[in-house]
Amino acid sequence: MHEAWERARARYQAAALPEELAFAVAGAVRRGERQRKGRRALRRAAATALAGCACFALLLNVSPTFAGAVYQVPVLGQLARVITVKEYSINDRDHLIDVRLPALELAANTDLEQRVNTEIRTRIDQVLQEAEDRARETREAYVATGGAQSDFIPIIITVDYEIKCQNGQYLSFVLTKTETLASAYTEVYTYNIDLPAGREVSLRDLLGPNYKQLANQAIRAEIARREAEDPDNRYFHGEDGVEGFTSIADDQRFYLNGDGVPVVVFEKYEIAPGYMGEQEFEIIP
Amino acid sequence: MEQTEGIIHRQLVDYIVAGQGDFYRLAYSYVQNRDAALDVVQESIVKALSKSDSLRRPEYMKSWFYRILLNESMNHFRRGRRLVPLEDTLADRAAPETDPGLRLDLYDALERLDLKEQTVIRLRFFEDMKLEEIALATHTNLNTVKSRLYKGLRKLRELTGEELNDA
Repeated sequence: MHEAWERARARYQAAALPEELAFAVAGAVRRGERQRKGRRALRRAAATALAGCACFALLLNVSPTFAGAVYQVPVLGQLARVITVKEYSINDRDHLIDVRLPALELAANTDLEQRVNTEIRTRIDQVLQEAEDRARETREAYVATGGAQSDFIPIIITVDYEIKCQNGQYLSFVLTKTETLASAYTEVYTYNIDLPAGREVSLRDLLGPNYKQLANQAIRAEIARREAEDPDNRYFHGEDGVEGFTSIADDQRFYLNGDGVPVVVFEKYEIAPGYMGEQEFEIIP
Repeated sequence: MEQTEGIIHRQLVDYIVAGQGDFYRLAYSYVQNRDAALDVVQESIVKALSKSDSLRRPEYMKSWFYRILLNESMNHFRRGRRLVPLEDTLADRAAPETDPGLRLDLYDALERLDLKEQTVIRLRFFEDMKLEEIALATHTNLNTVKSRLYKGLRKLRELTGEELNDA
């Protein structure tokens, strides 16, 4: 680096720090930790409501198939593949949006292909529209209360997918939408396809008619194990009026991992406090 | 996944304690007042810790924290400008007409720049941040950061008469 910069940097760093800085910082750390705990308790109260919103039902609409540039990522033999049909970023004053939108290609079953793709498309359009409205409202409120337009921190939205399992039998992928404003919140959508049968596979198909009982047992045991393992691991158990895990839902989200084992997914706040994040449980048949 | 948040949070506390001097200096460069700079640092820390859930990736910690710090500094600077008599806050920074023959020291010259250019230059040269990180921290895009950097460097060259290529 240029020596003039070295000099300037030295002057910058030589600026005296006030004696009470360390004390002030320690105090602020303590205050921040307290507020964080407070927020957690609040979130726990809000958890039921949030979980309710997050599990909105799938609406299947008929719409034209996807257009747009097609460039493919992983190939799953001749039978099926998941491709990225749309990849874009929006960077403006209100939001930073990154989207990688998947679509399914099934050689043998265009009905299923179209149904799944339409569903993905509809859902993401809706989610982005909502996020956009929210960003606009938030910014208007920010400006109305005296904030400067240019200081508004944009909402960050990321839509992405991950292929969890691909073999001759199954194709499983997870679509996530993460929205970050004050804190990040991720919604998860899962798709599991039985390729030879050409249909979406359910937990009942994988685990048998007793699938609920089986999964619930496995999840309860795993929750107990995780709680025993580390006192920081906490799940809701009905305290403060927030119901914890009782049973998997009829349309429980899950994906198949690389070994073809179903993994049940709970969103943040759904069965545990927010700091626990997303919760996943392997259900070994 | 569930443990990562706890780990990130602890890393954040360590980072804050270790970086307090840097935070104070940066805040001071905006508010130009010792107590106000302490306030800004404290407020930023409280905000950061209470929102640490939104920091998902430790590699963004610095940008993420500086974003909060810069926001708080700007808020304070603006508030200060409204409440405190102008001469108290702006006396030092109101750039007197430059005598074209006079060569300023780089550090003093920096104070003559527009605030946004100062920010980019401080973060780049004093805090060793990458331009991408600066873009995140100032919530602007990379091109804006670059143009502020080059504009700032050009002015500094004029003020100091030194060649100041970006390192």
